[in-house]
Amino acid sequence: MSLLKTKLNRRKFLAYSGGTLAAGAMASKFSTIKAVASEHGKQSKESGSKTVPSACAICVNKCSLFADVKDGVIHKLNPNHNFFKSRSMLCARGNVGAKVPYSPDRLKKPLIRTGKRGEGKWKEVSWDEAYDYIIENVIKLINKYDNRSSIAFASTEGLQEEFFRHLTSVVGSTNSVRHPTLCLASNIQGYSSVYGTLPDADIANAKFVVMAGSNRAEAFITPDTIDLAKKHKEQTFVYLDPRATKSAAIADKWFPIKPGTDMAVVLAMINVIISEELYDKEFVNKYTHGFDQLKEHVKENTPEWAEKESEIPADEIRWMARKFAENAPASVWYPGRRSSFTANDVYYRRACAILNAIVGAWDRKGGLIPKSGISLKSHEFIFPLFGRVKSRIDGGKVSFAADVLPEYIKSNKGMPKDEVAYLSEADGSWVLFRDAILKQKPYPVKGMFVYKQNPVESVPNRSKTLEMLKSMEFICTIDIQMSDTAWYSDVVLPESTYLERWDPAHSLGGVAPVVIFRKPVIDPLFDTKSMKDITVDLTERFLKKDEYWVDAWEEDKAYMRDYVKTFKGVPMSHIIKHQLSDYPGAYKMLMEKGCFYKTDKIPYGKTLKEGARLKTKTGKIELASVRYPEAGLYALPVYQKPSEAPQGKYRFVVGRHAQFTQANTQNVPYLLEAYGHYTNMLWIHPKSALKQGLNDGDYAIVKSSVGEQKVKVHVTEYTRPDTVFYLHGFGRLSKWLTNVYKVGASDAEILEDYAETISGNALLHETFVEIKKA
Amino acid sequence: MSENSRALKLAEANQKLAHKRRNAKEKWGIVLDTSKCIDCKACTVACKMENYVPVGFYNYRIWVAEDTHYANYPTISRSFQPSQCQQCENPPCVHVCPTHASYKTADGVVMVDADKCILCKYCMTACPYDARYESHSTEAIDKCTFCYQRRDEGRDPACVETCPPKVRVFGDLNDPNSEVYRLLAENEYTVLKPGKGTKPKLKYIK
Repeated sequence: MSLLKTKLNRRKFLAYSGGTLAAGAMASKFSTIKAVASEHGKQSKESGSKTVPSACAICVNKCSLFADVKDGVIHKLNPNHNFFKSRSMLCARGNVGAKVPYSPDRLKKPLIRTGKRGEGKWKEVSWDEAYDYIIENVIKLINKYDNRSSIAFASTEGLQEEFFRHLTSVVGSTNSVRHPTLCLASNIQGYSSVYGTLPDADIANAKFVVMAGSNRAEAFITPDTIDLAKKHKEQTFVYLDPRATKSAAIADKWFPIKPGTDMAVVLAMINVIISEELYDKEFVNKYTHGFDQLKEHVKENTPEWAEKESEIPADEIRWMARKFAENAPASVWYPGRRSSFTANDVYYRRACAILNAIVGAWDRKGGLIPKSGISLKSHEFIFPLFGRVKSRIDGGKVSFAADVLPEYIKSNKGMPKDEVAYLSEADGSWVLFRDAILKQKPYPVKGMFVYKQNPVESVPNRSKTLEMLKSMEFICTIDIQMSDTAWYSDVVLPESTYLERWDPAHSLGGVAPVVIFRKPVIDPLFDTKSMKDITVDLTERFLKKDEYWVDAWEEDKAYMRDYVKTFKGVPMSHIIKHQLSDYPGAYKMLMEKGCFYKTDKIPYGKTLKEGARLKTKTGKIELASVRYPEAGLYALPVYQKPSEAPQGKYRFVVGRHAQFTQANTQNVPYLLEAYGHYTNMLWIHPKSALKQGLNDGDYAIVKSSVGEQKVKVHVTEYTRPDTVFYLHGFGRLSKWLTNVYKVGASDAEILEDYAETISGNALLHETFVEIKKA
Repeated sequence: MSENSRALKLAEANQKLAHKRRNAKEKWGIVLDTSKCIDCKACTVACKMENYVPVGFYNYRIWVAEDTHYANYPTISRSFQPSQCQQCENPPCVHVCPTHASYKTADGVVMVDADKCILCKYCMTACPYDARYESHSTEAIDKCTFCYQRRDEGRDPACVETCPPKVRVFGDLNDPNSEVYRLLAENEYTVLKPGKGTKPKLKYIK
């Protein structure tokens, strides 16, 4: 065996053995990229291994984790087994976070645009130069338009977002626009109108679960996802979706419901439960308002009627209704995590909430549970009350509000035509907001700060968003990668990734709340800062400019000096200690266990105690809303037949995939390969493909009234013949997203920009497309 | 240190650990309940991170396959089969290896000594499960080691630890008090390609 003491190569061995073999080396597409990545960034001087607690930031769930760091380089991110909310897991995206700081596509230095917008010509500048540029432009805009609200602030969420919100207040703008109206605003509104809050579901203890559209297996991996997958043998899980997604794999029944008709099914279930007297009479009497009105309202909504609408057999609807009542209170019509489908969305969510209420599946084991939180101490800041400020551009009466409604719902009495009835002051309504900017009604908005959001890819009708950006005189984007929005900006500030910075403690609300935080797993690799540092630095610089404060009081400046003092040079650990100061031992637990909680038990029945009130007008569960009629809306959910696909067209539906967080992680090579392809594809049913003359693997042009995209065809039985789909987040415009730049098709490009006017949510299933062979 | 040298360092450390554990009495195995699998790929990505498996479709130690029984709209049933090296008690890859690079540790884990591997790929041909790939980091054939580097710390392999619905349970098949032992006693199970006589230590609950 002396032969084997030294490493033999294959050639040598073959020489010894005289054999011949075929070579089959398969070079990896990304091997060169990775080599480049490791050569960039500061080399760590650390040696040895350490384990650091922190929390993930790849999606909104913020799962606690422990990072294994070897010689100053992240080796692996592991799940934190103390963090009961993640059920001891870290998903694919959470795992790949280990590579995020080392991505060659990261933003590494502040950049100022030198060429035309979108041309991709940049110069690297120092932070000072970038700040000077920003300060100069902000002051110029405020003076030019005599209005601080002429600068808009767009963001999503995250533990550093509060500092971006602070920046909004330091600039004094009222125009902040956040993610909810591209996401769950209608859901929050619908459930809140019934329960005063958007609850979670106690999936771990539910016996009968109906999920419509929300694709838990492929969207964010939440506790609900895991409990459904774990418990599927013990509980009955009915899944309604035009597509047979991976959630269908763990479902007992999958119904390919006709898109937009979900409410018909819910109303029919309510009809069966009431007419067969299966509802919880005691619960209804004690805790709800408006049952008699509801009873009258659903009289005509029989399962036979709903079958014609939804294409789900009446017998199946009847079976669902009976099972729903039989298993109550451990029954759930799943409330969470899905953006608006059609214009009737708020009423639809109301109907879902009502269904759970009449069987008493509220705040009891296995039903819907109001979220709890752990309240943390916060620093109370007094932000300046500037003079040159106007109210929100999309707030109050909006003359063109009716224009965002799809045609078929415009005559509907339950839909406001001159405003968004329940517009959130902090969140706005993206679709209306953008229209208002383009129309300059009631005033011009010409500057924009964008933090971590990517409206170019996330707001329907991409061309319109680009037009809006074009109309801006100044755009500053803060991100870790060159998003498509950053690509069209004037100045781009690189943020440190979540693994390179401290983040404040944060209470994750839910059926059982828990607190997480972040501390640096590694030192920043590049010349990057946290959003906190950026806001503090800018505030400090504004304080040096007297002309900035002409419309403020002297005290305002003093408050802002205090603000800078609170954060500048103060370690985040001190801030976290302050946040947790009400709970002895909490800081220690957080640092050692990676999370802090008081109990992992679910506190059932808080809202059912004697004297408890819900945050509704009556304090009860409002089956019939008291506030809605006052605002000219329907008290009860009125079904609206969705529009039919015009001849030769298909309804386009959107959806998510377990590897991708909105439009954020498509550029990560490990996730592209876990997804299984390097591009997205058009799902089309074989019958429809035949009709359009398309074969699997062909390319097709998908065209709506606002745009068109070329995409590879995937012929599949997993979708309805009248419905087509392709995945979000491909076909990108930023050249620095090297793996997805112009790869595949963008859904933002073809989605028509409708919204509903109760919550202001964008409508993502109201687009019909033509499909032709490319 | 580059990713390649990390991979090599890990491979060497595992050889040393296998030697250190030469009197180990355990028989490691995994019991899987694939009905819980939602094909989220947490396991495959975690494996790549833990073991420095390079990016690329053809580099993998573990995988998830879709099992479509029938797909005739609207009667559709989907299910997934996560899999990896079956850690056979009778491993054909070890038998065919001309340089003894493929070997079985005392605790029954099939591993590859990168120093001895000459990339002849006999093992890849012999493996009925397609569980091996050519690694450009170690210039050797690479495969699942049950994350052998975690054995001394008593930690689960990365795929087991990270899985959201806990499809896999890892443990000592010899230990009557282990969870894997209990699961096999309480459930009907099968192995992949039993006809090959490889005696896999991955057991799939029916």
